[in-house]
Amino acid sequence: MAKILYIEDVQDNITFVEKVIRSRGHEFLFAKNAEAGLELAVTSQPDLILLDLGLPDADGQTLSVWLRSSPTLASTPIIVLTAWTQEVARQTVEAYNLNGYLCKPFSLKELVNMIDLVLGTQAA
Amino acid sequence: MTIEIIPADHFTIQELTDLYNQTRVDYLVPMPMNADRLSEYVHDFDVDLHQSCVARDTDGQVLGLSMLGFRDKTAWITRLGVLPTSRRTGAGSKLMEHMLMNADRLGIQGTDLEVIKNNEPAYQLFLKKGFVEKDTYLVMRHAPRPMTIPKQGEVTWLNFHEALEKLEAYPQHLTWINALESMRNSPNTEGLHIRLANGGSGWLVYRNTKFTLRSTLSHLIIHTEQGQAEEIGTQLLSRLHTQYPHHDTYAENIHEADPHLLAFHALGYFTNFSRIEMRRPRP
Repeated sequence: MAKILYIEDVQDNITFVEKVIRSRGHEFLFAKNAEAGLELAVTSQPDLILLDLGLPDADGQTLSVWLRSSPTLASTPIIVLTAWTQEVARQTVEAYNLNGYLCKPFSLKELVNMIDLVLGTQAA
Repeated sequence: MTIEIIPADHFTIQELTDLYNQTRVDYLVPMPMNADRLSEYVHDFDVDLHQSCVARDTDGQVLGLSMLGFRDKTAWITRLGVLPTSRRTGAGSKLMEHMLMNADRLGIQGTDLEVIKNNEPAYQLFLKKGFVEKDTYLVMRHAPRPMTIPKQGEVTWLNFHEALEKLEAYPQHLTWINALESMRNSPNTEGLHIRLANGGSGWLVYRNTKFTLRSTLSHLIIHTEQGQAEEIGTQLLSRLHTQYPHHDTYAENIHEADPHLLAFHALGYFTNFSRIEMRRPRP
């Protein structure tokens, strides 16, 4: 079982992802803005962070810089879940040293596969 | 549907923020805000909430909003949005009509706005309301990374007043958000000037915005006074990112033909999206 933090401001998206994650037996945490997300990431030390790029106080790209600059989160896997285009998501993952992306709308299966892939990669 | 238009200053900033976020929930480029950011936006970009509008139906249900900024004889329409469930009701069109009516009543000579490229419904609405396309601008990002470009020349860091002095002499058009007035409205404006051994020189003005935990760089404007734009731009950006190695950077509204674009790309900037600037002269 892994501890997964989702940083997202839209409640419908949180509800959807929470169901998926809990059904896989993982622990689920969430935050609705960048400041709260950073604080929760530092205090809870998740195994995986799912990050929305459009947040109300600072966007996900900026938040990923804050997360990566924290010594205990520097290598925590981060998956971007975004409404941006595939190309922007790909460039963001590469430039900001993140671990993967899913462009909205994505299916339950795609989310599960991505989580398994990233957590599996970490375990290996 | 009967749509009523109310001045936006009848609502609190928190109510306007919530409404704005709801209108953007499925937007092409989601850009939610919190109340602090919207307040800063209103202040920095001279938005007049009394002339800005909220649309609602006869049951009192809010449908959308639009904001209007004023500077001298120019107006700027921004944050226009309609709730997903209220689209195709004429609310967007009605908001636009009121914005333009308010601008005309105040003797405005021209009204500007920016639309995200490929937002076809909004673009078509603006064409119908008499706007014409002016120019295309890029919104670019830069993640922190080690700078490997050899340093050249002599750098002078510019404080708020020195940065604004440089900007006052900028010879090109700047969109509303990077205009002199916007930069003057923010205490976070600063800059740097470089002089190279080969005689080249130029400056970079930007905002260094302090968040609770970290800062970000934004609103970058580069000008080459003398010499090659690519060389001057590369040196200026390299010095900036060497000085602030951990800052995320958001370069908004860089003209698509800006002579410093190659410098941005050389430093690892990539484009998030493009905006089209449109203008409607007073009929």
